[in-house]
Amino acid sequence: MKRMNPFNNNKKLRVEFPCRKKSLKKARMRVEDFAVTNGFEQEAADIALATQEALKNVIQHACPIDNRMRLEGEAEDDSLTIIISDTGKGFEQCALDAGPSSPLSVHGRGLQLIKGVMDEMDINTCKDGTAIRMVKHKYGV
Amino acid sequence: MEIVVEEKEGYHVITPVGELDVYTVPLFRKVVLKQEGNRSHEIILDLTGVSFIDSSGLGSLLEVYQKIQSVQGELLFVIDNPRMLKIFKLVNLDKVFRVFSNLGSALQHVGVTGGYVDEDFFSDSVE
Repeated sequence: MKRMNPFNNNKKLRVEFPCRKKSLKKARMRVEDFAVTNGFEQEAADIALATQEALKNVIQHACPIDNRMRLEGEAEDDSLTIIISDTGKGFEQCALDAGPSSPLSVHGRGLQLIKGVMDEMDINTCKDGTAIRMVKHKYGV
Repeated sequence: MEIVVEEKEGYHVITPVGELDVYTVPLFRKVVLKQEGNRSHEIILDLTGVSFIDSSGLGSLLEVYQKIQSVQGELLFVIDNPRMLKIFKLVNLDKVFRVFSNLGSALQHVGVTGGYVDEDFFSDSVE
């Protein structure tokens, strides 16, 4: 009898990507498809952008031991959750929370964008890795 | 990404087409930051062909802005995509950049009129 994989059905997604820039578009498109499939057409572009920003943080700051970044998604009727995790070295959370150092600063807008397009965001980071959880509620629900 | 660079009566009109993100920013920087000529610091960035932008793309726009500011030049943006405007607003760049909804308006603003017509303005069509 064929066993059902609990992930990668319509409501759940679990994929891994090599920790490099080339993976970003692939991951973003995968998440966008997942969102649209689950009825989050209007929210899909925001969710995809937040995913790209979170993955960029992994590539730029985490340096995972296994060189992989993990992406999980879970869709419910009124919200969609994305979790990006890695086995990198972690980072000082206050450094991320600070945002851009000035209004014209070239860097530091990644988390600002995530907070702007998603409804919830939290980060757990330690020396063994980091996980960022982002939630988007369906518009009008 | 493709980047089209044209000169209109001295103004550089730069039109990136495609995605402006961490992957394509190096090419964008290479082309835009190295514009040369008498009026290389008078630039119109036409972003109507940009289908996706991330924080690295926004950073590269700020880099251009800072370069132009440092030489008292002028930088105008053309954006007609509500999604792009939303992202600009999220990071407060709508308050920093001068944004026009079409290239004709931006060119008229800087006094470049030859051969350019704001089609909306001259349109005879009635809604």
